[in-house]
Amino acid sequence: MIRAPYRTWLEYTGWLICLVLWLFWLQGQICWWQPLVLWVMIMALFLLTRVLGYDAGALPLAAVLVFAGWIFLTRLSPVWAESHTWGILIGGLAYLLGLWAGSRRFCRPLLWAALAVGLLLITALAGESAGGAKAWLNLGGFRFQPVEAARIFLVFYLAHYFADGRSKWELAAVLGSFFLILAWQRDLGPALLVFLVFCWLSLHCQFSWFKLFGFLAAAAGGFALAWLQFPHFQNRAVAWLRPWEYLDSIGYQVLQGLFALRSGGLAGRGLGAGSVQVIPNVHTDYLFAVIGEEFGFLGTFALLMVYLSLAFWSLRLLHSLPERRLQLTGLGLTLLLHLQVFLVAGGILRLVPFSGMTLPLVSYGSTSLAAQLAMLGIVTGLGGRRGEG
Amino acid sequence: MRRSFLAIAVLYGLLFAALFYWQLCAEIESHPANPRYYQMFKEKRGAIYDRSGLALAESVPEGETFARVYSAPSLSHVVGYFHQRYGMTGLERLLHEDLSQGRSVITTLDLQVQKAAEEAINGREGAVVVMRPATGEVLALVSSPWVDGNELDDNWPDYLDDQRSPFLNRATHGLYPPGSTVKPIIYGAALAGELTGSGQIWEDGGSLTLKNRTISNFGGKAHGKITTDQALALSSNVVFARLAMELGEGLLEAFRAFGLGSQVKFDLANLGGHLPGKAASDYDLAQLGIGQGELLVTPLQMAAAVSAIANGGTMMRPYLVQEVRGGLKLRQITRPERIADVLPSFSAQALSKAMALAASEGTARTDSPASFSYGGKTGTAQMGQGLDHAWFIGFAPVEDPQIAVAVLIEHGGSGSQAAVPIGVRVMEAALTIDE
Repeated sequence: MIRAPYRTWLEYTGWLICLVLWLFWLQGQICWWQPLVLWVMIMALFLLTRVLGYDAGALPLAAVLVFAGWIFLTRLSPVWAESHTWGILIGGLAYLLGLWAGSRRFCRPLLWAALAVGLLLITALAGESAGGAKAWLNLGGFRFQPVEAARIFLVFYLAHYFADGRSKWELAAVLGSFFLILAWQRDLGPALLVFLVFCWLSLHCQFSWFKLFGFLAAAAGGFALAWLQFPHFQNRAVAWLRPWEYLDSIGYQVLQGLFALRSGGLAGRGLGAGSVQVIPNVHTDYLFAVIGEEFGFLGTFALLMVYLSLAFWSLRLLHSLPERRLQLTGLGLTLLLHLQVFLVAGGILRLVPFSGMTLPLVSYGSTSLAAQLAMLGIVTGLGGRRGEG
Repeated sequence: MRRSFLAIAVLYGLLFAALFYWQLCAEIESHPANPRYYQMFKEKRGAIYDRSGLALAESVPEGETFARVYSAPSLSHVVGYFHQRYGMTGLERLLHEDLSQGRSVITTLDLQVQKAAEEAINGREGAVVVMRPATGEVLALVSSPWVDGNELDDNWPDYLDDQRSPFLNRATHGLYPPGSTVKPIIYGAALAGELTGSGQIWEDGGSLTLKNRTISNFGGKAHGKITTDQALALSSNVVFARLAMELGEGLLEAFRAFGLGSQVKFDLANLGGHLPGKAASDYDLAQLGIGQGELLVTPLQMAAAVSAIANGGTMMRPYLVQEVRGGLKLRQITRPERIADVLPSFSAQALSKAMALAASEGTARTDSPASFSYGGKTGTAQMGQGLDHAWFIGFAPVEDPQIAVAVLIEHGGSGSQAAVPIGVRVMEAALTIDE
């Protein structure tokens, strides 16, 4: 019933789980029900996707990433791991919701734009702040970050804009209000991400050097503006460029991350053997450095290869789609995920300033996990049922 | 889509490159802001053993953590030390990666010989290097004064203030004029070039005048009619200044062949000393012939040189690390390595006889006869100020040399009085070790 490549991936996942169980049984702090429930959920999603006739290639890859995150969160703190398990289960529902949404041919560009901007606006007006950005919405004790959903809706709108040729003024109004509200909330990471996705889609539709330099100039302008306007952005930029001069203050996190990566070397120090508690916000921001310390270069390399395989899977799937708008939606969502990987890992590796986002599908954070699984669901849904063309 | 995928792959490529740099190449591990660096000094680490399996350095439990303990204070110049505040030196540093993974190291050192050399030098400033001529194994390497690896916490400020430089490894980094200890090299080269024979008769009038500059024997003593062997045994400056002039450029070549002027390929860092590129005049040659002038050597170089003579003219690479083992990696075993044939064997044999004569009747003899036969050569390197540096190089037993030794005592006076007794004591201790 299951074709060979998928079966191989499932076997990998199975081995991964065996490894986890074994390691944590040795350490005596395993919470048995969590990996079992997660395993059952992934299997169920996989079989359901196949039975419905969709391409389930994303699930084994996503499972590897999700389990890697769960392993390291358990290693850091069983409390985070339990909460993360609930996040993953919600993410499973989000995947199914995405699968449904992706397979429908909605054509409501203004609704998407209104949802994107509206969600942000509600957050900005009624939200709670944590970690420098006012990005949380509280619905009767259930806290989440609407920006994760808002940017998916924005990508829906952008796909309409580029595929159907909508008014430039409308685009300017939507994007302008989107960025303004994010700036008001002081949530710069998602703003940068959405800006990059917009530029990429625009260049994808029609490449010109003039446009490329225009975008670069806009990015430089935004950088300068952020520098003048936001002290915490200044800190991040200085920590990126000259961390050694600010060892104990703003450069502390990035340097401790680099020390952790370096001490991992080629093969890592082994699960649980790293000294990673010294890194601030390690479970949301710096899980990548923990993996680097304990599983080494081989571990981080493998992790990034899984992401790259995921990118290959989704772009190959989108390549065969007949409708341009669906292609652009899928590309936009894929870019949201992979550019975030680049910004997060690149921030830890000092390629770009650290933007404080989560490592997709791996880090602690239920909203972002659910949104990313929903995105995979949407792309799977866009691919359509086999045989439908 | 294809171009987008390529662009995404390029971004991941950037991440791979950055990962490669930060995880495998960046030199940030020992940065003071890295808490792991301090942790390392408290962890259990592989032991360093001598040739018979006695521990030279080991980690002993101290509460929850481990402390590094050394079995002889002079080991700080060879084995080195490993300390949270003062870092790591010597073999502790060279083999840090293996030791930190719990692998143990077996050295060529012998703790008894090391201690005997430590006692023999008795607090004077100087160095002793003991080797096995046939293999190049270093049995002991002492540089005095030393810092005690077990007492760094208490004594560090005193070590820093000490005018006698206890951090300087005189065996590997001390540069001294070799004095008469170069005479065996000159004799060997002259024998090899058939410029002289051991029975040739020389007329030694006590001094030699070259264009109104004079080279005199030690104390101005005239030895009269002597053979070349006797000239070596009595350390005649007149005869060796003349031999050096006869060798001409060949003199510098012989020094170079014996490794003077270049670093020894050794496990520890060392200096190459100084050998002039060419001798400008006969007087310069004559000066070099008695080990004065611009020539500067380390005790390690002289130990390697006398080992080559004792080994029939074949120089072996001196080495300290015999074996690294344990952990998941394969055992690494060092094999003796031939560097070069520096003398033909007939001339090495004749030279050994002459050095045995120096030990039995010449300047390298002891007041009370030694219990074993040895060959040797003393040196008294003249200094501008203060007492002369005292040298002794030798090997034992004469028939089948098992031990070679180089001794230097800074400002010790004459080699016969200050260096020979130390060399003999150390050789005696080294000959009694069982293998």
